[in-house]
Amino acid sequence: MSVSAPPVDVAAVRAAAASVPDPELPPVSLGMLGMVHDVRLEDERIVVELLPTFSGCPATDMMGRDVKDAIVEQVDGVDDAGRILVRWLFEPVWTTDRINDEGHARLKEFGIAPPTGGGVVTGGPELGGRRSLPLTLGADDPDADPAPAVTCPYCDASDVTEDSPFGPTPCRASWYCNACDQPFERFKPL
Amino acid sequence: MSTTELDTSPSWSADLLPDLTTPLARLVLAIADDELISGHRAQHWTGVAPSLESDLAFSTIAQDEVNHADTLYSLLVDRDADDARSRIDALGLGRTPEQYRHAVLCERPPGDFVWTLARHWAYDHADAVRLGALADSSHGDLAGVAKKLLREERYHLLHADDWFDRLARESGERGREEFAAALSDVLPQALWLWEPVEGEDEVVEAGLLSTPFVELRGQWLEGITAALESADLADVLPDDLEPTYDEPGGRRGVHSEDFTHDVWPEMTALHRDHPGATW
Repeated sequence: MSVSAPPVDVAAVRAAAASVPDPELPPVSLGMLGMVHDVRLEDERIVVELLPTFSGCPATDMMGRDVKDAIVEQVDGVDDAGRILVRWLFEPVWTTDRINDEGHARLKEFGIAPPTGGGVVTGGPELGGRRSLPLTLGADDPDADPAPAVTCPYCDASDVTEDSPFGPTPCRASWYCNACDQPFERFKPL
Repeated sequence: MSTTELDTSPSWSADLLPDLTTPLARLVLAIADDELISGHRAQHWTGVAPSLESDLAFSTIAQDEVNHADTLYSLLVDRDADDARSRIDALGLGRTPEQYRHAVLCERPPGDFVWTLARHWAYDHADAVRLGALADSSHGDLAGVAKKLLREERYHLLHADDWFDRLARESGERGREEFAAALSDVLPQALWLWEPVEGEDEVVEAGLLSTPFVELRGQWLEGITAALESADLADVLPDDLEPTYDEPGGRRGVHSEDFTHDVWPEMTALHRDHPGATW
């Protein structure tokens, strides 16, 4: 009878994957961003399913490597990254709703307004039906509580203006605070 | 340029290409190639756009579109395989010019900023219409990708519509005239975004594409016609809104020198000359 490898603690694998920092926003982890979808064992293989954020995010490949390194480092009985498969899923679709409260707080500390608030695209696109002009804006559910307004991550003022829906990375927009006269970035709602 | 002999022989990476003739490949390549080439043309404005905001906008759009292409190409390879990255790169950069399936509109040079904005508006509205149809695809991953891209493309549409309003309504007589001239040049070519992909009947029958391109063209025309009418610009629409695509265009691999002698050689040079290069 051959000696089989010691069992791998799936919860520990998941915790290791969730602990990986976003290379471009280090205070925020993949767990806080809601990117870890599923972790499971397929025979000897450890499968980690992640949800990609913005398609244009250049950090995606790096995150995959970092997840493997973190698992090897943190999980007992796993010392070969070759047995880990990181799979990026297209469904379910990642949206900024998946970022948890801690993620919001860390983003704000980092000087980036979290992806809440009105005046921008927050609802899902109308699928299947005819496209309408102009774009339909606003929350999916018209009866939902209005989202909190965008506030300055530095001084919390709500007297802020969107300069551009584009910014230094695909996930950030350029805003300006009229109260403290600071430009700031905002995580784009998706 | 055309006097230069170009080496258009197959790349070293041709062996990494999947079967390009399956119904899924024919559909995905048409859309992915549109995105890839649009992204390459959008990046022209990095560093030279008329304002910092425009520079950020087109630089981001370029990055988005190239990565949308990358995501779509990945549907044609085994994404779990160790060499998935190389195979996706081979699809983007390792094909010969006539193997690309984008519409000729996408390969046209950026022109002036007004022309770029006219193409941006026409193209991104077409992209939204077809992504809406692809979200109903029988192919689960393709439907998932379409839903994801729709969310990101909304920012491009907002940008395009914002500039449409500024040029059509707020820019004064000269701006309006230049925009109208650019639209008159762009729209007849934009109709070729709806040239059916090869063997489209099969693609639709398999449920990969829920609605044929010519029907989607009708949806797109309805939307842009309403916008043009509301801005009193309906006379920029071409007389023939329903070309029959008898001659092959970009969807069947027929491209202009704007692609074969400009975008293609520049885009593929590094990949072709340095096999396996990474950074």
